[in-house]
Amino acid sequence: MKTAFRQFKALVKLSFLELWRRNDIFALVLLGLALMVPLSMASPFGADGASRYLDEAALLLVWGFSLFIALGSGQRLLAPEFEARTIYPLLAKPISRGRLLFGKYLGALAASWSALAFFYVLFVGSVLLRGGAFAAELPQALALHFAFIALAVAVSLLGSLLMSASANCALSSIVLVGMFFFGRRLPEYADGLNPALAWLVKAVYAIAPHAEFFDMRQRLVHGWGAVGWPVFAAVLCYALVYIAVLLGLASLALRRRRL
Amino acid sequence: MRHWALAFAAAAFAVLAIPSAMRRLCGDDAMPQVVRGEGALAVAFGDAREVLGRALVQKADSYFHGGIDMDCHVSHEAEREHHDEHNDEHEHHHDEWCGCEECAGGHEEQQEERAAFDPWAWINSRVRAPQEHMHLDGKKSVELIPWLWASVAADPHNIEAWTTAAYVAGDMMKDTDLALRIVAEGQAKNPKSVRLRFYEGRVRYARGKGDLASARAVFVSARDLAVSLGLDALPEEERTAYEFAGRFIEEIDRRTEK
Repeated sequence: MKTAFRQFKALVKLSFLELWRRNDIFALVLLGLALMVPLSMASPFGADGASRYLDEAALLLVWGFSLFIALGSGQRLLAPEFEARTIYPLLAKPISRGRLLFGKYLGALAASWSALAFFYVLFVGSVLLRGGAFAAELPQALALHFAFIALAVAVSLLGSLLMSASANCALSSIVLVGMFFFGRRLPEYADGLNPALAWLVKAVYAIAPHAEFFDMRQRLVHGWGAVGWPVFAAVLCYALVYIAVLLGLASLALRRRRL
Repeated sequence: MRHWALAFAAAAFAVLAIPSAMRRLCGDDAMPQVVRGEGALAVAFGDAREVLGRALVQKADSYFHGGIDMDCHVSHEAEREHHDEHNDEHEHHHDEWCGCEECAGGHEEQQEERAAFDPWAWINSRVRAPQEHMHLDGKKSVELIPWLWASVAADPHNIEAWTTAAYVAGDMMKDTDLALRIVAEGQAKNPKSVRLRFYEGRVRYARGKGDLASARAVFVSARDLAVSLGLDALPEEERTAYEFAGRFIEEIDRRTEK
């Protein structure tokens, strides 16, 4: 148990340091500032006092950047180890493939979560600077966003074991972004299609990761109030079960992989 | 080598011949992409700006409804009347739910019926819908202005966006100076819009006694503009503005006679 903990700790530390050394986060923060500063200085028609559009734009950037970081982290967990053949000395140590996978996943998760926390600190700071208040919905929104990032890392990790890096990043982002924006409308789209296509769309609706469950941006921006606790718990359970299934499949793919 | 030369010659011929043939076949007016206006947005996006402009007006509308997309409900004009009727109610439960998921947030029975066979819809209807339908009003309506501003920046010929922005400024925020600035800017970019000129008169009329004379002059100029453009050739909205301008002139005359 102690050995396992030490191994996980080492893997987490490695992934964490790798992300922060790559400077991706700082580049994204600079990009965000380049977009947000001119937007915050704008005075549409000379009318002052509007702030919700800034919150919405900032939250959209936080979601986009955090997804970018999460997919990149998931992709870089094992694929570079195979390419550089460093997987051999890694597995030569007394560590099982399953433990390696889970440890790497935890590392990517810690790195992505730290980036997300950093983005939210900047977001809340900008709200407070503009004279806004701490939204009551924020803790729930944060928790669901963290759960979404955990799901995105798992999706990317599984994809990295099944396809090439570019294909994985493209497909993962299409699935997650597509579901984020259109997931809840899929049954409506299916109604207007022929039976075979409708069945396909409904199957996608049933099994694809519902990224939209985790999106509380409108609640935060417009002050709708918190989600009911049973619903909140249901979404977290959904994320947990989905992540467990994805990691199970990833573990299977890694075990079957010839090294 | 010879094949390459032939292919190159054929491609060059096609590049030169097809556009000129299309122009002859379709005439100058039928060219599919005509850049209206100036600036990088006009060149880069062309007609797509109209779609973007309409989408941004819809976004402003959703802000008015506290973040709910009301595209499935009523039209802007009807919504304005609805808003006028409920001007003193900042929040109220809506009666006209259409069945979309946002609306489902307010209908317990509908939620339960759907959730019985679709747990994903059950979660969505609760995560993505407020329990109460709210309207922005008073000074808070300033939140709509950036989206309307973005809409007219994307498509300066979207008259609905200009009049909606002026309505928000004048009727909701009670800032008639801002409303007049918006209408003036809109008219500078759309000098042949009867609706915008009518709207300027309406804002001046709403300012009260001091501005009745100038309001009347603007209504008269709106009618003159409509006549000079040809009443039969005007779109329906512009003709309606022409007719309303006449009614306002009658009303002003009645008030000044008293």
